[in-house]
Amino acid sequence: MSNHVRKDKEDGRKGWAMAFVVVSLFCIIFFAARGRFQAPVSSQSVSLVLSPFQQGVSWISDELRHVTEAVWEMATLYEQNKMLRNEVEQLRGINLQANEALAENERLRNMIGYKQSAHQFDMVAARVIGRESDTWSRMIVIDRGTMSGIANDMPVVTPQGLVGRVVEAGLNSSKVQLILDPRSSVGTIVQRAQSRVTGIVQGDMDNPTMPQMVNIPKNADVVEGDVIVTSGFGGVYPKGIIVGLVSSLKNDAGGLLKIGVLEAAVDFQKLEDVLVITASREAPPEPIKPPQQTPGTETDPVTGEKIDDKKAEGQQ
Amino acid sequence: MNNFGKLAAFVILLYVLQTSFFSLIAYHGISPDFMLLLTVSFAFLRGMEQGTLMGFSTGLLTDLATGTFFGIHAFTYLLMGNLCGRFANRIYKDQFFLPVFASLGVTALNYFILALLMVLLGYRFNPISNVQATLLPMLIYQLAFAYPVHYWTYKLDKNISSNETN
Repeated sequence: MSNHVRKDKEDGRKGWAMAFVVVSLFCIIFFAARGRFQAPVSSQSVSLVLSPFQQGVSWISDELRHVTEAVWEMATLYEQNKMLRNEVEQLRGINLQANEALAENERLRNMIGYKQSAHQFDMVAARVIGRESDTWSRMIVIDRGTMSGIANDMPVVTPQGLVGRVVEAGLNSSKVQLILDPRSSVGTIVQRAQSRVTGIVQGDMDNPTMPQMVNIPKNADVVEGDVIVTSGFGGVYPKGIIVGLVSSLKNDAGGLLKIGVLEAAVDFQKLEDVLVITASREAPPEPIKPPQQTPGTETDPVTGEKIDDKKAEGQQ
Repeated sequence: MNNFGKLAAFVILLYVLQTSFFSLIAYHGISPDFMLLLTVSFAFLRGMEQGTLMGFSTGLLTDLATGTFFGIHAFTYLLMGNLCGRFANRIYKDQFFLPVFASLGVTALNYFILALLMVLLGYRFNPISNVQATLLPMLIYQLAFAYPVHYWTYKLDKNISSNETN
């Protein structure tokens, strides 16, 4: 009898403990999603333990992939050669036209005195050593961390375009949130000179491989095939990095805005090596100078009031 | 190596394989979820308490290591471990059919709980296209890998049990 009572008591205690853990976890999920709860130390220590193993296994899988790719390339060499010859012929023609356009562009730039802003980035190359298999978020792990100068919020790119940003830099590995993640938002702009419509690119839960450009006004000049680049607004991503192409357009549920479904510039399925932008030195905008004024008619640039002769002399 | 060390090594090995090796065969970013398969198998073999603990541990590892929404996997895997562990004393350990096919149902249930959490967190999506794009490929992967994961978990469990009786 007493054993039975003790067992019931124990079961009850376990049930309460389970309920407490479940409720606590439920609360933690919501606090963490709103940024009010973080577990950075434990997260970094887990990454520190796992990253050597991930690097090893990733190296093996890369080697395997290279071998299979080499075998496949050898099998398709003849067809590839034929296609490449055709492409060379076409590109030769395009190259001639491009040279002509380049010369014309240079001439026109000189004519209007336009100085191209120099985008210079300091980059650190990194290898992808881990990928999340989760269905709700898109993250990767790279083999560089704070020891290589990586810090949180640094943009991650490939020569093809934007990959994402570093959300958690560990000692020897970092977690990168891809632009496909629903939590990610990138300030973007249409590259076409006649359009220059701005919008925000976010990950789409319905289509994990194609991000969306949202907040586009319904009458905005955005068409299929438009190239979308980063706008530089927000301060995380430098301006001008290619995000993707507009694949299709659809109406927003509200009816006032439209959504552009993008084909990402980067093939996230084959992401092996990435570049982390550790510093960007864009040419700073020149300070605004008041225009040259005709002597005797000077006005204060702030108030617009006329300045008398003595004051003007003093200013000069 | 003691039992805890063996278990930890097995969990880490499966996690590393899942994130670094099997991502090679990922379809639209979705690859097999070994942590969930391990939780299901372990819970069927070891019972409710240990299944719940394993679910919590593998979920927490997933949350901490990948930087996803913190706590969601610890929450759902714990529930799945608890649920599967309740059936542990009703099935034979040598019988592989139920744990392997139960992993499909558990994957689907886990998906729907996660979807509900996403909705509660304020994310909106089309349930039909989301099921097509994410749940269906995930179920195929889980079915393909449920047997090998359960087999290795069974071997490990046998090893642990023999150590415990000695």
